[in-house]
Amino acid sequence: MMKKSVLHTIFIALVALGGGALITACSDHSAPPAAPATQEQAQATPPEPTPEAAAPQEAKEVVCFESRQGGATDIIQHEIQPGLLNVKCSPTTSAALWYGDPYADTVPMGKMPLLESIPDDKAVVRPRSEKLNLLAMCGTACHNNTLPPADRVPPTLPKNNHPAPIPTMEGMLPEIANLQHGRGRIWCLECHHTTQRNMLVDHFGDPISFDQPQLLCGKCHGDKLRDWRDGIHGKRIGEWASTGKKRWFVCTECHNPHNVQDGERNRGFIQLQPETPPQLPHGMVDADYEKLHPIPH
Amino acid sequence: MNANETPPTTEPPSASLAPSASANPADYPAARAPTTSRRSFLKAGGMLSLSSLMGAGALMTQSGEAHAAAEWAEHFQKNYRLMTDAEKDEARQRLERRYSQEYEKPVTVDITGPQPGVLMGYALNVRKCIGCRRCVKACVAENNQSRGERPGERIEWIQVLRMERGEFSEDKMDHGYPEGLGIQVGGNAYTPAGQVLEGQYHYTPEAVPEKDATYMPIACMQCEKPPCVKVCPVRTTYREGDGPVVIDYNWCIGCRMCMGACPYWARRINLTTPVLPKADMNPVTHYLGNRPRMRGVVEKCHWCLQRTRQGRYPACVEVCPVGARKFGNLLDPNSEVSLILARKNVFRLKAEMNTFPKFFYFYD
Repeated sequence: MMKKSVLHTIFIALVALGGGALITACSDHSAPPAAPATQEQAQATPPEPTPEAAAPQEAKEVVCFESRQGGATDIIQHEIQPGLLNVKCSPTTSAALWYGDPYADTVPMGKMPLLESIPDDKAVVRPRSEKLNLLAMCGTACHNNTLPPADRVPPTLPKNNHPAPIPTMEGMLPEIANLQHGRGRIWCLECHHTTQRNMLVDHFGDPISFDQPQLLCGKCHGDKLRDWRDGIHGKRIGEWASTGKKRWFVCTECHNPHNVQDGERNRGFIQLQPETPPQLPHGMVDADYEKLHPIPH
Repeated sequence: MNANETPPTTEPPSASLAPSASANPADYPAARAPTTSRRSFLKAGGMLSLSSLMGAGALMTQSGEAHAAAEWAEHFQKNYRLMTDAEKDEARQRLERRYSQEYEKPVTVDITGPQPGVLMGYALNVRKCIGCRRCVKACVAENNQSRGERPGERIEWIQVLRMERGEFSEDKMDHGYPEGLGIQVGGNAYTPAGQVLEGQYHYTPEAVPEKDATYMPIACMQCEKPPCVKVCPVRTTYREGDGPVVIDYNWCIGCRMCMGACPYWARRINLTTPVLPKADMNPVTHYLGNRPRMRGVVEKCHWCLQRTRQGRYPACVEVCPVGARKFGNLLDPNSEVSLILARKNVFRLKAEMNTFPKFFYFYD
C-alpha cells in the first residue's frame, strides 16, 4: 500500500509538471476538458487513467483505530448501506467515534470457561490473529511470492517482494527491546508458544489463539478476568441486555502486553491525543481564563 | 350582560378542564352545554373558533409542503404524554415526512415507549477515564446536536472535567490553601483540586491522561427525583417509565428554568437555529431523543433512547476506548450495572442534593 501511494505521488508529481488543469480533467472523468490547450496532453496519457482513478479513492480511504494504535484493530471506513457507514472517525485523531454495525468482521468468541451458558452467536470478537500472523506472513511474502491482501499485511512488514531490509523482531515491535511487563520476572516464552510462534501458550503448554488472549492473561490477572467476564472490566458493544448479542473486546485490543507498565503512561493505557475541547463560553478568551479568574464561592 | 350573568356551572372541574387541553374538536361535548349560561356561551364560541382553526389546519395539511404542514399540526399538538397512540403515530409520520424532505434522506422517528421490566442505569469508572473526549464527540455524531462555529452554536451534552490530583508530598507541606481564594475548594489541605469547583473542561494537552490529573465526565444523571422536572412550568420534561428524563421539544418554551435547577450542568439550550449539516445528520431518531431540535428549546442527554429502546448500547458506551462506561438494566441482577453496584465502590455525584441519580461513578 505504501509502495502504491509512492507510485501515485510520483505520478501526480509528473502530471503536475504538465499542468494543474490536467489533474482536474483526469480525476473527474465526467468533467469535459477545461481548456483546448490541455487536450493534446490528455491524449498523451491514455494508459494512465487506471492508477489515477485509484488515487482519489485511496486518498480518501479513512482508517480509524479503536482503543489503541498498532493493536491490529484498525477499521477501514466504508459504506455498509447507502448512506450508512460502518464506522465514523474523528477528523482530528482518527479514532473510531461511531459504529454503524458493531458486529462487522466478527466471529464467535468460542467457549470460555464459566461462560459456557452464552450461545455462540451472542458473544463475538473481531479476529486479529491473521494480522498478527507475523511468521507465516514472512513465508508467503518473501519466499512463496504470494502476497496477502494489502489490508491484511501487518504494518511492519513489506508490502511487495522487492528486496528490503529484513524486519527483525525488534524492528517490528520496538517496545519488546524493553519489555515492561511482570517487573523483570517474565520473558517472551511465558506467553508465546515455544514452537508455534503464531500462538500464545496456556498453563499446560497448549497453544492459544491470538484472538483469545484472555485465556492467557487470566493466568495471572484473575481478578481482572472475573470482572471482564461479568462486563465490569473491559469493553463490549452491541446490545445492552445481559442476554443480548455483544462484541467483546479482548485484553490485547486495549492493552499492549509488551509495555503495560511503561512509565510514560497512566493507568495502564497509552496516552492518546484528546478530541477538541468544547466551545469557549462567551467572555472567555482562552482556556486559562478560568484559572486566572476563579469563580467566587 | 350583567343581568345575564349567572353563577358558574356546577360541572366538575376535571370535566371542564380536560377538553380544553385537547386539540381534537371531536372531544368537545358541545351538545352538553345547556342553554343560556354566559360561561358556556363563551366556551362554545371559543370551541367554534378553535375548531374552525383546526379545519384550516387540516386543509393546510392536505396541501403544501411537509414543513408547513408539520408546523401547522404542531401548533395543535398535545403534550406528548397526553397524546393517544394514534396521535403519536400521526406525529411520527408527519415528522418523518418533514425531516426526510429537509435532510434529503429517509429519516425514521421512533416512538417506542418504555419496555416493562426495564430500569436503565449507567456506571462510569472514574479511575479508568483518560479524558480523551471521545464520548463527547460520539454523542454529537449520534444525537444531532448543533455543530456551528458561531457562539452558542456548538452544543455538547457531555462535559469532561479535569481535576488536579491532590498529593501529600513533603515539599508541598508549606503550601496551604489556594492563594487568593482563601477557602478550600477540593483536593487536600496542601494541594487544591483545581482552581474552580467545577474543574477545567477546556484542557488541551498534547496527550491524555496527564500525570497530575484525573478526569470526570458529567452529563445528565437521569435523576429519580429530577429538579428540572419539578421546575418546568409547562411540564414538558418528565421521567420516562424506564428511567430517562426526557423532553417533549414541541412543548418547551425555552424559559431555561430547568437549566438553573439542574445541579449537574446537564442541560443546553439552542439559542440559535441549530446548525446541522445534511450529510452529518443521523437519520435514526426518536421522538423524545435525538430528532432535530428547533431554536429556543432545551436539550440534554437521554441515554440515546433511539438506540437503547431498540436494545443497543448508548453511543458513548460504544466508543469509550478504555471501557469506563457501562450501561444496563438495574432490575436485571446479571446486568453489568447491577454487578457493579453489588461489587464495586460506588458513589453518586452530589448525593446530598437528594436527586437520586441513576448514573453511578465507581472505582475498583
